[in-house]
Amino acid sequence: MSELITINGQAHEIDVDGDMPLLWFLRDKLEFTGTKFGCGSGLCGACTVHVDGQATRSCITPVATLAGKSITTIEGLSENGDHPLQKAWLNNKVPQCGYCQAGQIMNAASLLAVNAAPSEEEIDTAMQGNICRCGTYQRIKKAIGEAAQEMQEDA
Amino acid sequence: MSKVTDLDNNAKSGQLSSNRPNSEQPSNAGRRSFMKMAGVAGGGLVLGVSLPGYAGSKTEKMAGLASESTFNPNAFIHLSENGDTLIYCGRCEMGQGISTALPSAVADEMEADWSRVRVEQADGDEDKYGPQATGGSASIVRMYQPMREAGAAAKAMLIGAAAKVWKTSTDNCYAQAHFVYNKLNKQKLGYGELASLAANMPVPSSPVLKSKEEFRYIGHALPRHDQDEVVIGKRMYGVDTKLPGLKYAAITHCPVLGGKLKSLDQSEALKVKGVLGVVEIPRFDVPYGSIGGVAVVADNSWTAQQALKKLKISWDLGENQVYNTKAYKQQLVANVEKPAQVTHERGSVEQAFAKAKQKVSATYTGGHLSHSPMEPNASVVWVQDNSCEVWAATQSPADIQKVLAQYLKREPKDILVHVTMSGGAFGRKFKCDYVHEAAVISQKMKMPIQLIWSREEDMRTGYYHSTSAQHIEASLDENGKVTGWLHRAAFPSIGSLFNPSLDRASKGSLEDVAMHPFAIENFRAESGEAKAHTRIGWYRAVYAIFYGFAFGTFADELADKAGKNTFDFLNQLYDDSSNINDRQKERAARSKGALALAAKKAGWDQRDKLPKGQGIGLAVHYSFNSYVAMAVRVEVKGENIRVLKVDCALDCGQILNVDGATAQMEGAVVMGMSLALSTEISFKDGAVVNSNFHDYPVMRISDMPEVAVHMVESDHKPTGLGEPGVAPFAPALSNAIFAASGKRYRDLPMKPLSV
Repeated sequence: MSELITINGQAHEIDVDGDMPLLWFLRDKLEFTGTKFGCGSGLCGACTVHVDGQATRSCITPVATLAGKSITTIEGLSENGDHPLQKAWLNNKVPQCGYCQAGQIMNAASLLAVNAAPSEEEIDTAMQGNICRCGTYQRIKKAIGEAAQEMQEDA
Repeated sequence: MSKVTDLDNNAKSGQLSSNRPNSEQPSNAGRRSFMKMAGVAGGGLVLGVSLPGYAGSKTEKMAGLASESTFNPNAFIHLSENGDTLIYCGRCEMGQGISTALPSAVADEMEADWSRVRVEQADGDEDKYGPQATGGSASIVRMYQPMREAGAAAKAMLIGAAAKVWKTSTDNCYAQAHFVYNKLNKQKLGYGELASLAANMPVPSSPVLKSKEEFRYIGHALPRHDQDEVVIGKRMYGVDTKLPGLKYAAITHCPVLGGKLKSLDQSEALKVKGVLGVVEIPRFDVPYGSIGGVAVVADNSWTAQQALKKLKISWDLGENQVYNTKAYKQQLVANVEKPAQVTHERGSVEQAFAKAKQKVSATYTGGHLSHSPMEPNASVVWVQDNSCEVWAATQSPADIQKVLAQYLKREPKDILVHVTMSGGAFGRKFKCDYVHEAAVISQKMKMPIQLIWSREEDMRTGYYHSTSAQHIEASLDENGKVTGWLHRAAFPSIGSLFNPSLDRASKGSLEDVAMHPFAIENFRAESGEAKAHTRIGWYRAVYAIFYGFAFGTFADELADKAGKNTFDFLNQLYDDSSNINDRQKERAARSKGALALAAKKAGWDQRDKLPKGQGIGLAVHYSFNSYVAMAVRVEVKGENIRVLKVDCALDCGQILNVDGATAQMEGAVVMGMSLALSTEISFKDGAVVNSNFHDYPVMRISDMPEVAVHMVESDHKPTGLGEPGVAPFAPALSNAIFAASGKRYRDLPMKPLSV
């Protein structure tokens, strides 16, 4: 009996080589393609998911280390695509090519979960590992600030 | 939905291609429409259009891409009976926003309600969709007018249909937001209801286009049509294609261009569980063919990557092992600091120099760059005996058809290319070596293959922006007027891809130097020796990166020597422009306009009040038919450079999408900052030294300055913005650092990481 991993609320058997990074388990085994491959070395953040709520680079995290853990991917961040960050992303028209944005949003969601009102410096520090080659950083910062505000008002 | 599909099939069955005009007709017949209607069976309206006078840009000609045909019918508006409107985007989307901008222009003229419009990326089919090779910031220049005319024709046909129903004159009808209204009795009919009837109306030969005041979408800030999908992870890219039975490949290439496989031991790799095979890919000697490599196929990407590491490969590296960029760049400098091959000449530089009050000279250099889009090269290819189907992130589906046809010895039309969204491209995905490789693997393995390059392969075996050296000498008279300008450039050119024996950049590659809006009266351009030792490719903004840097920085140096401020000095340069021709005059005037706006918004006049250690630098550059000026405010503390604010002013004529234009400028600042400060690809013994984002440090969020984008009100024809924003950043930054600290940077990147 293989071990289980919970992804977006659903249990899945880890029926692959345990060394396989979560990224490829998601993409090639489960065909959840929202989580992107960017560098394979934890340097760009495109593959960011949540492991028990914590932003994690799925490209360097062996799936065996995640047995019994709960994973959230961009597909599971919100029921209807209405997480405050997703709304703020749309409102600020953040995406250009959009490829890095799942990782950006997942990373930002993890930040806001522990720091409801991050300063600009705190946003910079938290988002430093997420590269956007199209150059949407200014809008990312603005969208995170806007989402934080909405979450505080709702709290 | 099914209606739309039916219509699409009708269109595909060739109902579009009758009515081909006589090729002797003038191809630039003013505002004459080339619209034609296509398939009406099954209900609904399908409208196609042809593209007048497409002759191809010079880069496309160089790449052998330009088509001389003057009639390319396509079908891109599909209005079904329920009112759903499908607009195909023939140009490739890589984040630049063209799949929103062009369809929104169609919708605007058509008076379609944007919320009823769905945009789909067209498959590769240039007979149907016109030129699809997406580069040179040319999509808008080429497609804006025909797209508007098609939309306007659809509207006229819908109005005609409504008038027929109401038995009234079309003068009594008008269209608005997916309805046609009867002015006399306030009745209305929906576009869906009218679709089939409209399809039987004559296609207007010259539909009336809206005036600027009537625009509903053009010139507004429409969001990207697909951003909702992006934020929930549903947008599909080149890496995301899944097919039944799909297998996965990983690849490694010969690290030196021109090398060959010497020996391969695949035994350990084949022992890895899940590995299905090892495929040797020989070098395919066509411009966008594979440089040669070895691939492993497995039942998932990770297994293929792991097994790849177990291959024992030795390469015969070939003659390009001599390539070392540090020494090469020094050689380029030597080659521009002595007389070189004259490409352009006006007046007499010698006479101007002889009479000079002051002579100024400087040499500028730049390194190779890797595009490094966030999505590495990826495609799915399935080669079968009677078919070949491709799903690829690409900028040029026709090149995929051409290269795969050459390789498989089939006809280009037999290669079916589905164009996916590109997760960034910046010129890299114009070249389809990675698709060719997937085709080789699929053919050998007899299965559908997804090949994704690793980041390391992307960085080490790509096509690179040229490393370059430029030397400029200029003379100033007693009034500080520039009287002569000698400009030597040496860089391995893109032409070397197509003609490897080239030993320097061609006259055509220096055209932008000769035709710079400064248009100095006594002028000479020379091309210095620079043989290529790696693949050189278009990189966002291409040669404008280093030309813009040299012109923009040298002008600032001249201003300093002439004892003038840069703003006044640049204005004088443009005023003194020798106006080689009428277009040159316009270029000087519009350059000035952009410059004035950037300087004003940046508070150029108040620059003396900046805190110590801060400075503002100005630069303006004309490229790809658009004008962009930047005022960069910087803070310099010791060796530490911090960009605080960028005021960017642009003149691209009528703006299609204000938000898209703004986003392109913000992105251009980020890319400009990466290449100005930190990114450089270095070669040692013929191979790239860099490997991933730790040693190719592209800009991250903490360095993001505030960027404000300002637009010159303009009624000129719209021009593209994908590239023009990149060039002015580096010179404006260099000039700002000089203003802040007195230190002059002439080499890019300014702060290279030692690798």
